[in-house]
Amino acid sequence: MESRTRVLLLTRALVAATLLTFSLSGCAWIKGIFAKKETAEQEQVAREQTEEEEDNAAAPRVIDPEVERREIKRPAIDTENFEIGAYYGSMSVEDFASNPVYGVKAAYHVTEDFFFEANYGKTKLGTTSFELLNPGVDPLNLGTGRPFTYYSLSLGYNFLPGEAFVGRKLALNSAFYVSGGLGSVRYAGEDKFALNFGAGYRILPTDWLTVYIDVQDRVYNSDIFGTTKLTNNLEARIGVTAFF
Amino acid sequence: MLCAILATPEALASKRDYAQLFVVEPYLELKTGPGRGYPVTQVVARGEAVDVLFRRTDYFKVRTERGVEGWVAAVDLLKAQYADGSNFSIDLGDRNGFRTHDWEMGVFAGDFDGASLVSGYVARSLNDNMKVELTGSQYIGDQRSGYMLEVGLAQVFAPEWRWSPYVTIGGGIFRVQKDLQRPNLVDRNDETAYIGLGVRYYLTRRFFVRAEGKERVIFTSRNDNEELTEWKVGLAFFF
Repeated sequence: MESRTRVLLLTRALVAATLLTFSLSGCAWIKGIFAKKETAEQEQVAREQTEEEEDNAAAPRVIDPEVERREIKRPAIDTENFEIGAYYGSMSVEDFASNPVYGVKAAYHVTEDFFFEANYGKTKLGTTSFELLNPGVDPLNLGTGRPFTYYSLSLGYNFLPGEAFVGRKLALNSAFYVSGGLGSVRYAGEDKFALNFGAGYRILPTDWLTVYIDVQDRVYNSDIFGTTKLTNNLEARIGVTAFF
Repeated sequence: MLCAILATPEALASKRDYAQLFVVEPYLELKTGPGRGYPVTQVVARGEAVDVLFRRTDYFKVRTERGVEGWVAAVDLLKAQYADGSNFSIDLGDRNGFRTHDWEMGVFAGDFDGASLVSGYVARSLNDNMKVELTGSQYIGDQRSGYMLEVGLAQVFAPEWRWSPYVTIGGGIFRVQKDLQRPNLVDRNDETAYIGLGVRYYLTRRFFVRAEGKERVIFTSRNDNEELTEWKVGLAFFF
């Protein structure tokens, strides 16, 4: 009985030892498999790297993988609202006949309808009837060259904007306008406060060039003949301006 | 010759870099001129681009990819986008512009110690509140006439208000052309300094009204200085 028990115990011990041996060796075997796989991967990567380096050495890369954002340039937009130019015409100064007038003009177009305008002009005073009858006398003390100058600051309004058709193929932008403002006139060494109002027609051969005709009435109180009276002084002119 | 002169600005302009905008709305209308009275003769389809050549008042001259040129209203062009999808933005000359703008110009009429006063000014904004002003004036009276040219500072207290008060201070040159009380005046140029109080009122679009009173000292070369009052009201615009 005792010997049977001993044999059983010995047998179990043997089985346990055998199992332990197998299990330990199995772990090592599995570990070995993984190790082999890792080595293969490393080899693959190394091979690829070598190939890549070879490629780089051979030719530049055609495709750049880094995507750059496209930069949008936003250039400042030119604003062309100022207008500057010169004019020539004829001005009738009350009691002093009509004479050529010339001057300069600057304007700013605030909206499509309204614009501000500044004018400075110069003309010459003609001879009065009294001077015609008494040659060589200058009782009015008009000065050498008998100059008459004025300036005005006006507000204008474009109405009837449209196109003027020149021939069959050409259409030019144009507009009628009215304007009015204030300023002063200077003659015989005196300044007079003056109001002005008038109308004109503007045509644009190009986007930046303007040709216009314009009539203005300059109204002021004159006392050069002793009594104060309101005078109307009409001026008709043709001018050229450029937008910038 | 004339053709060469007329062509020059375009030739110069073609070297410039223009802003390119893409049409996002179904179409963009091109007019023949910068105003509502001009007819629409071309449209640009959605997805197409236009080059913005220049601006006049609230219209833009543009050129399409096919080389067609026309005028687009600012409100229409605001709906277009840059190539990166960002919106086109401009100053429209509205109430916001009344608060924030770079330049102002205007014309005044008023009274200067009994004389008529005509005056024009241009102002540059340092910020929404502070402006540097250059003013040229002519006073025309029975007794005395002349000119003034002055530089000053104006402080607007609340530029966002429609009625917006301000104070102004400055000085410049006071020129006498005629003085009946002193017919033999030798020194016709004097210095002047002023302090003033005014109000500006936003009208519409780019326009506003200005009214102000100034207390002015003229530093004469005579024994005593002169103190004179000036009142004026005017129409101005900003851009």
